[in-house]
Amino acid sequence: MTIDLQKYPAIAAYAAQTNEPAWFSELRVKALQAAADLELPTFGKIRYQRWPVQIKRPLAYQASDPQLLSDVKLQSAKHIIIQLGQTTVRQQGLTELAAQGVIVCDWQTALKEHPELIKKYFMQKAIKYDQDLLTAQHVAGVTSGLLVYVPKNTVLNEPITSYFIQDATQKQDCVHHVILLADENSEVSYLENLTTIGDQPTTASIVVEVIAKAGSHVKFASVDRLGAKTTTYLNRRGHLDDDAKIDWSMGMMNDGNIVGDFDSDLIGSGSHAEVKVIAISTGRQVQGIDTRVTNYGKHTIGHILQHGVILSRSSLIFNGIGHIIKGAKGANAQQESRILMLSKKAKGDANPVLLIDDNDVQAGHAASIGRVNAEQLYYLMSRGLPQKIAERLVIRGFLGPVLEVIPSDSIREQLRDTIERKLVNGQRDE
Amino acid sequence: MSTLEVKNLHVTIEGKKILKGVNLVMHTGEIHAIMGPNGTGKSTLSETIMGNPAYKVTQGEIFLDGKDILKMPVDERARAGLFLAMQYPAEIPGITNAEFIRGAINARRPQDDQLPIRQFLKDLDQAMEVLDMTEEMAERHLNEGFSGGEKKRNEILQLMMIKPKFAILDEIDSGLDIDALKVVSRGVNQMRGPEFGSLIITHYQRLLNYIVPDVVHVMMDGRIVKQGGPELAKKLEDEGYAGLRDELGLDIKLVDEDA
Repeated sequence: MTIDLQKYPAIAAYAAQTNEPAWFSELRVKALQAAADLELPTFGKIRYQRWPVQIKRPLAYQASDPQLLSDVKLQSAKHIIIQLGQTTVRQQGLTELAAQGVIVCDWQTALKEHPELIKKYFMQKAIKYDQDLLTAQHVAGVTSGLLVYVPKNTVLNEPITSYFIQDATQKQDCVHHVILLADENSEVSYLENLTTIGDQPTTASIVVEVIAKAGSHVKFASVDRLGAKTTTYLNRRGHLDDDAKIDWSMGMMNDGNIVGDFDSDLIGSGSHAEVKVIAISTGRQVQGIDTRVTNYGKHTIGHILQHGVILSRSSLIFNGIGHIIKGAKGANAQQESRILMLSKKAKGDANPVLLIDDNDVQAGHAASIGRVNAEQLYYLMSRGLPQKIAERLVIRGFLGPVLEVIPSDSIREQLRDTIERKLVNGQRDE
Repeated sequence: MSTLEVKNLHVTIEGKKILKGVNLVMHTGEIHAIMGPNGTGKSTLSETIMGNPAYKVTQGEIFLDGKDILKMPVDERARAGLFLAMQYPAEIPGITNAEFIRGAINARRPQDDQLPIRQFLKDLDQAMEVLDMTEEMAERHLNEGFSGGEKKRNEILQLMMIKPKFAILDEIDSGLDIDALKVVSRGVNQMRGPEFGSLIITHYQRLLNYIVPDVVHVMMDGRIVKQGGPELAKKLEDEGYAGLRDELGLDIKLVDEDA
């Protein structure tokens, strides 16, 4: 199929400015054409459809000034890549990875240097580009991203850290795509930091595909701190082959409205996904999180553990979906979603769903929404701690069961600090 | 010298009248004991002085050094110098014991004069030694999974570290064997001095063998009905609360009394 790019001047202009390979521009057009007939997806009790969540601004290349980052505190790490908007600002410790055949590069580089990987995996395995309106808009509009490839039998001891700082000093939407491909029997730990600089109202569409080949083990951790004026569609998807494992640890500390769609497809037998989510909603924001694990393969294990805290007039929705497909003998699907309310005006919703199409399985769920334990608060305050500090301690205890099982000390620490900061800020609007 | 004064205190809980006019004055340097049968309002008195929001004061006042504390929330009262060793301490999984105690001490100090960590650890070690507590108890989450006896020791540990003006000990002896009772008493006795006063609430005279009070108050049916020295506690042990009630000619039904 040949596509006349002249009919799509924004795509043509962008392709010319960034030297984008024609095959990718054509994919954008295909997605754009498909979008006309697609609808917004539904996620249980998350009503986000009226938010400005769709990418409506035309595709455009915009550079960002690295000076913007001079005040931003970034953790240092051995292997790190930092992107600001569409600009890659810093890369460190990647050449020694390259010596082991590990690829870590930004999206433009990936399109030019690793087209075979992108063609094979980009919106092919984990998610389809024409799955719904949001995925199609994502493909049509992607302007930044990351490719991480870990070759067969390669075990990386040090995590790969990525910062993606959305540039909301400009009125541009943010469409960011990550492919993390762990080849057979490899092991990798990846830490993703999403944050925003600037306060223009913007839309973000972020999709992460983790493809875990047979016998691989991926530890995926994220600290998500997108800004108050950013409305986000965040899709993280795992595709697991035989005996692969993904440990997801996600800290949803965003300040704006966000719909999070976290899915793991346990395709191969014996594959295993652990999904841990900590979320804190403050102010008037809504965070809707739809976490699904689908057991296709035999003896697959899918565990979901989500704990969230809501302050002020904010909302938090946790959907937990465990789906066991017929034939997935010996599969195991467990989930727990709990929400702690600090304010009577906050809204929480924890919805467990188990869909079971086979008999020979184990499945279970727990869900709760509760208020801060008054006795705990009284006890702490009776020793002289002010109420807000006492509340934060109770919250720490509540989030502990998720934090403690996150398989990395440094990520745990970083999440703990981020939680503290988000809570302190959130308590100011109480 | 500091003074804690309770004046004509009336308290209800869930609409039920519990305290019906309690009067009490104590100073630092003194140990007072409140004895009384079950269900007579002893714990209500201690929780109300501390400021538990579940208890509603309908009449009366409480002064600390002449300042009315009833309007103050519990944390302010604590920082003003009150401490309550609770009968059922809450379990808090979010913080270690040591971290919590340090936080509580520092909450009383200005931002620019926080207790140096070395000094804190030294004080903590010493206090734990007095209480026969193992070091690992400092690193465990606050009260989480502690046995009844460990919780009581931990209350006294906090007391020793925080050094309040007035400590109310609410049935600190309940559930303790004789050895633990001695240990806990040792901790409280070490606090004795001109800057410290304590109000000890107990059913039994036994604790008062180890912590000898200066004043004993007997409470029945929401009021203090008699005061005396340590000998009053011994008399009660011999004659029981019913004996004293009859002697005073009070028309009160004791909760645990056979019908």
